[in-house]
Amino acid sequence: MFDTQTISLGIEILAATILVTTFLIVSSRSLMFYVRLFAIQSFLLGLVALLVAVGFGETHILIAAILTIVVKATVIPIALSKVIDKIKVRKEIDFTINITTSLLLCALLVILADSVARPILEAQRMSDLAVFKVLPMSIAVMMIGLFIMIARKQAVSQIIGLLTMENGVFLSGLSITYGMPLIVEVGIFFDIFVAVLILGVFVFRINQTFDTINVDTIRRLRH
Amino acid sequence: MGYSLALPGFYFALLIGGFSFGAVVSLFFVRSNNANELTSQFVIRLGKNLGFGFSTLASLGGCALSLSVLLAGSPYQLEFGRTLPFGPLSINIDQLAAFFLAVISFLGIAVSIYSFGYTNEFVGRRNIAVFVFLYNVFLLSMALVVMAGNAILFLIVWEVMSVTTYFLIIYEHEDSSSRKAGILYIVMTHIGTALLLVMFITLAGFAHSFSFEAFRHVRTQIPPSVNTWIFLCALVGFGMKAGIVPLHIWLPEAHPAAPSNVSALMSGVMIKMGIYGMVRVFFDFLAPGPEWWGILVLFIAVASAVLGVLYALMEHDLKRLLAFHSIENIGIILMGIGAALLFSSFGSKTLAAVALLAGLYHVLNHAMFKGLLFLGAGSVVHATHTRNIDELGGLAKKLPWTMFFFLIGSAAISALPPLNGFISEWLTFQALLLGFDIPDLAVRLAVPVTVALLALTGALAAACFVKAFGVTFLGLPRSAHAEKAHESSFSMLFAMGILALACVAFGIAPGIMISLISRVTSSFFGESGSALSVLNVGTLTIPRGAGSGVSPLMLLSLLAGLIIAPIVVGFVLAGKIRTRTAMIWAGGLEKVEPRMQYTAAGFSKPIRMIFSNIFRATHEIEISEEMSAFYKPQIRYELKTESIFQKYLYAPVRQTTIAAAKIVRRIQTGHIQSYLAYIFITLILLLLFAR
Repeated sequence: MFDTQTISLGIEILAATILVTTFLIVSSRSLMFYVRLFAIQSFLLGLVALLVAVGFGETHILIAAILTIVVKATVIPIALSKVIDKIKVRKEIDFTINITTSLLLCALLVILADSVARPILEAQRMSDLAVFKVLPMSIAVMMIGLFIMIARKQAVSQIIGLLTMENGVFLSGLSITYGMPLIVEVGIFFDIFVAVLILGVFVFRINQTFDTINVDTIRRLRH
Repeated sequence: MGYSLALPGFYFALLIGGFSFGAVVSLFFVRSNNANELTSQFVIRLGKNLGFGFSTLASLGGCALSLSVLLAGSPYQLEFGRTLPFGPLSINIDQLAAFFLAVISFLGIAVSIYSFGYTNEFVGRRNIAVFVFLYNVFLLSMALVVMAGNAILFLIVWEVMSVTTYFLIIYEHEDSSSRKAGILYIVMTHIGTALLLVMFITLAGFAHSFSFEAFRHVRTQIPPSVNTWIFLCALVGFGMKAGIVPLHIWLPEAHPAAPSNVSALMSGVMIKMGIYGMVRVFFDFLAPGPEWWGILVLFIAVASAVLGVLYALMEHDLKRLLAFHSIENIGIILMGIGAALLFSSFGSKTLAAVALLAGLYHVLNHAMFKGLLFLGAGSVVHATHTRNIDELGGLAKKLPWTMFFFLIGSAAISALPPLNGFISEWLTFQALLLGFDIPDLAVRLAVPVTVALLALTGALAAACFVKAFGVTFLGLPRSAHAEKAHESSFSMLFAMGILALACVAFGIAPGIMISLISRVTSSFFGESGSALSVLNVGTLTIPRGAGSGVSPLMLLSLLAGLIIAPIVVGFVLAGKIRTRTAMIWAGGLEKVEPRMQYTAAGFSKPIRMIFSNIFRATHEIEISEEMSAFYKPQIRYELKTESIFQKYLYAPVRQTTIAAAKIVRRIQTGHIQSYLAYIFITLILLLLFAR
């Protein structure tokens, strides 16, 4: 019903929006806001997958799309919100790298991602596809995800950083190959889902034991 | 030849199977808690005896295997594990391997028999099943080290040997000094193994294979600088295990810490694995090198021999004393090997063969008499529960057989004719003196210095064993321990008897063993290497040297004559010998007390004075203050010798390592963010620069 061009355009716009939500995470300091932004990001990712499934006829991606929307955009955010409610920590106060510097560095990361991806794509002669613009963005999302883990100190932010990275990986997978084999996708979903459950429990326990979820205080292993 | 084709396989299976079975079988007889004390002890004893029975059997198999290879002249080969990533592993028992296997197996038989009686003491007190397991694995790994025909297999069994030795050293783990000795040993031995790994990888880089056969094929293609690198790696890596000065510091700690039967094996054969490795690399994998190789080895040999015996003289711990003597004897063995290297770099194959033969014969002899001495020391410790010889004395009456065997061992290690130590040291002298044939200044300087210091070593060793034997066995008991001593069990005495017999046999009839060992040397230096023409069983002659032949039997009769003649003459001149019974003069006191005897420290004082620069002895005399005419004041005398190596070599290295570790430790912040940042920065740098 749509031609490839339109679908590619749609994917590009959605990917750009995902990158924007990532930046919004970096710019905010409320934990709840992180979780909501992550939900939106995952929902957009689900839409990308849906577009790929419908537009390019890759039906198995449909399952991945539905899983993304159900698990990442709904179940995980709800679970994390509950954890935040219980531990009664609302704001990130203490940063390793402050917000302004973080945003500037993230902008540099986007440029780096673009410069890394471009030669690969040119070598593969894929400049005519949506992938040309989506791959750099997905690499940027991955790197920003890791950057969030470095820049923030609250345990919940670490989880969000990890999940953002994973979203970046999924997005790049979609853009390069229109989806990895289903078994891989499902495996990753299961992995992430269990990881978040465990991490949620851990955060709760850490808070109970140390009265904080600032990972700075958990340094005993060194001695 | 027919027999030699069929039987080695059987002996090989007996060797491997026996040790493996012996290792596993005792584990099935671990204590059964529910049974009563007597039956559980019986079960443990049964398991232990089965284990040592299998190890004796396997050692017999090893002896037969090595003899069949030595006599048949063709190596026994086996290949397995073709699917492994490094290529197939192989067993290759050539002449050299067979010789070392013979040494291991022969001592293995004696020590296994000894262990039947010796380990009875552990029953009920320690986990003996684990001991039997480790003991068998230890022997098996040593046998496999010499049989390995492939670097990968070699390194695996080499490490198995190191690790089992570590566990045997810390077998009495409640003693903190044992644990310390174990740590020191395992650190040192792993540094050595790291160097061996480097060496084998360098060799494999040229040979494109890890098999020893391939190494041999490329021996002439390796450039000289790489050759030197391999030589140094082998010297230090194997030297660590052999205990050459200055890498010897683990040896006097580790040998006394282990149970005595294990000390006998460690000192008798394990340190020889270092020698095996050196001979294998120097003469098999490397082409003859520059002459400074031989000079360097000779220098290390002399340092080991002289310092080893000097430190031994200062020891009052019987087993530590023996451990220092192991360093000394490794030095003597290395003199032969160093001389062989030196001569072969001048292309003189006959001389090199004689020198190597001297070294290898001393390997065998040292295994015999040092094994015997450690077993004897084990019997003494078993009987008295102390290793300090100043607490012993008068044991000759309590342990007559042990005394007799220990005396034979002492005479052998002091190189007295007609025992085996004399023959191999004589050969070493001859080999070194033959070096005058080579018209080179360095050789002409090195040879006489080495000869002189070897002579010094022999004299000091004799002095040391006069002290060790005299203070331990003669005189009056110095403590209650020594008074309550009892003779060891039959199996222990039997084992010592075997070794004592070997010491005598290899001394009186050296021709038999030498004709076997010359097969080893001729496998390296060709037929011209069989330089020693053995005229008959009794007399050895060396072709070059004018009149350099020796007949142990003749020497023996000469010595006996020297002792008997004065007695006869005295008898003839003075008529019948009068005897007078009286009290021993005790300096005017009522009777002779044990405390009046010469102590070990007193005996060795003259030597301590002469070599005071090396020992740097400090003594402290403390007299308690309550001086009164009626009460004897308490006098405390403390004597300390310090090791120059500990102070000037190991302490700085240790401090630098710790300081460096402290600096590196700073990157371990404990912040999860910084670890992530390390990963992230690495990733970005790779993306930027490593495209």
